[in-house]
Amino acid sequence: MAKKKKKSRFSSIKWMIITLLSSGGLGGFMKPDLPFIGPLTQRLMAFAKSDESLGQGNLMNQVKANMTGAGNGVAGLNGQQAAPAQLANSNRPSSSILIASFNIQVLGKSKMAKPAVVEVLARVIRQFDVVAIQEVRAKEDNILPQLVAAVNADGHRYNFIIGPRLGRTVSKEQYAFVYDTTRIEQDPSATGTLSDPTDLMHREPFVARFRARTNPPEQGFSFWLMNAHTDPDEVPEEVDALSQAFPLMLNARADEDDVILLGDLNASERQFGNLGKIPNITWTVTGNTMTNTRQNKAYDNILFDRIRTSEYTGRWGVYDIEGVFGITREDALMVSDHLPVWAEFSAWEAAPNNRMADRFPNDQPR
Amino acid sequence: MDERERLQSADADQRAAAAEALSQMGPDAAYAAVELVAASGDQESVGEWSVAALEELGPPPEEAIAGLSNLIADTNPTVAYWAMTLLGRAGPTARSCENQLTNALHQSDQDSVRERAAWALGKIGATSENAVQALQTATTTSNPRLTRLAKRALQEIQS
Repeated sequence: MAKKKKKSRFSSIKWMIITLLSSGGLGGFMKPDLPFIGPLTQRLMAFAKSDESLGQGNLMNQVKANMTGAGNGVAGLNGQQAAPAQLANSNRPSSSILIASFNIQVLGKSKMAKPAVVEVLARVIRQFDVVAIQEVRAKEDNILPQLVAAVNADGHRYNFIIGPRLGRTVSKEQYAFVYDTTRIEQDPSATGTLSDPTDLMHREPFVARFRARTNPPEQGFSFWLMNAHTDPDEVPEEVDALSQAFPLMLNARADEDDVILLGDLNASERQFGNLGKIPNITWTVTGNTMTNTRQNKAYDNILFDRIRTSEYTGRWGVYDIEGVFGITREDALMVSDHLPVWAEFSAWEAAPNNRMADRFPNDQPR
Repeated sequence: MDERERLQSADADQRAAAAEALSQMGPDAAYAAVELVAASGDQESVGEWSVAALEELGPPPEEAIAGLSNLIADTNPTVAYWAMTLLGRAGPTARSCENQLTNALHQSDQDSVRERAAWALGKIGATSENAVQALQTATTTSNPRLTRLAKRALQEIQS
């Protein structure tokens, strides 16, 4: 499967400018080589548009066609698709990986004090190779260690990375990624929170780069995950900010062309605005599939560039906690008011030979 | 005792349990809007679940407007923030709170409160000269978010 890797000269220049100006960042957590959201971005993107529009054709038609294609998903809640548990099990094939997003409503001390809830959370996480978590809400730092200990209680070897506390009031949230270290490696040099100097977002996206473990390692599918949770009262503005940040992440590194934006966007596909108009962007949750426990909202999603991220297999789903665990709606709500959404990707980079420098810090010299 | 009453219990565990139960009700928790806003400034175990409930409950019922209006001036900025958030969600129904929101925009020393006040004034469609003047002043601050929200609020008012 050949993969196009088109980088304009402008992109390199643009990125150099951003790199030079974006050092510092939030709480010292930001890596200087990550982009930021804001007026400079807007100016650069406006300029970039003229560059990107060359040869793109009718973009809206491409997006619409793409949406139809994503409807080939194989798992969901409405009975039209295969049961997600059958696809997402602990004996996952080595040829593919499962990436999920899960808003675990108020993941904190109170939730961790409920063993039955923790057990469900652990079993859910074990179904996936990487889980982007939203809504860690605790003043303590022991919540994720406890959760991962529960996940690993049966011998699994998951690990986690967690972002800084974000929010405009004393009620702060953290993003986290939990991943199966036997199948996924994380690039320790590529983790951070996007800088947001003009404060467009309540909780700026937390980004990290991962790679599927393959042999040889450098042929594994590598990708950015961009974990996001928008403010429900400023959805159009924040989704628009994400539409600016996503293209910047696509060009954040010369050796990484795969960016997967996932999280609780508080927006269904009909509310994506400019985000849905990014050339070649696609998303997994479409149509009448709902992603919350009450089954009346489609706020969680997984978005990526369908051309660059040709590793997507077309399989996706919403993990039906009530159905899989045979619990009541009331009990499922104790776990979260959201359900995990997931998508499957090939474990192999689509065109490793074309990669400029697809390397992780621990790779052997070539 | 319903959850709204439990939310005002002297026992913090009872309040936390009530807030958690309300957070699982979605928009059906709106009947406890005022109590949830007041509880958002409570200790962590209560406050976090109250905030979770507030995020999901949508616009407050009309009978909650007066109670929410009283909480705008609360000394706890989280309480003030959420009172204004719900009033903004109420839209023109909450126009009676225009003066309190204008005062918050003028007087609060908390960015989060001033920003939410500007946002809410736009959402309720404020009409008074004081409100418009306060928003115009806010467009000239060095806080880029407040400036942006005030400009947007003025656009909403004029539209």
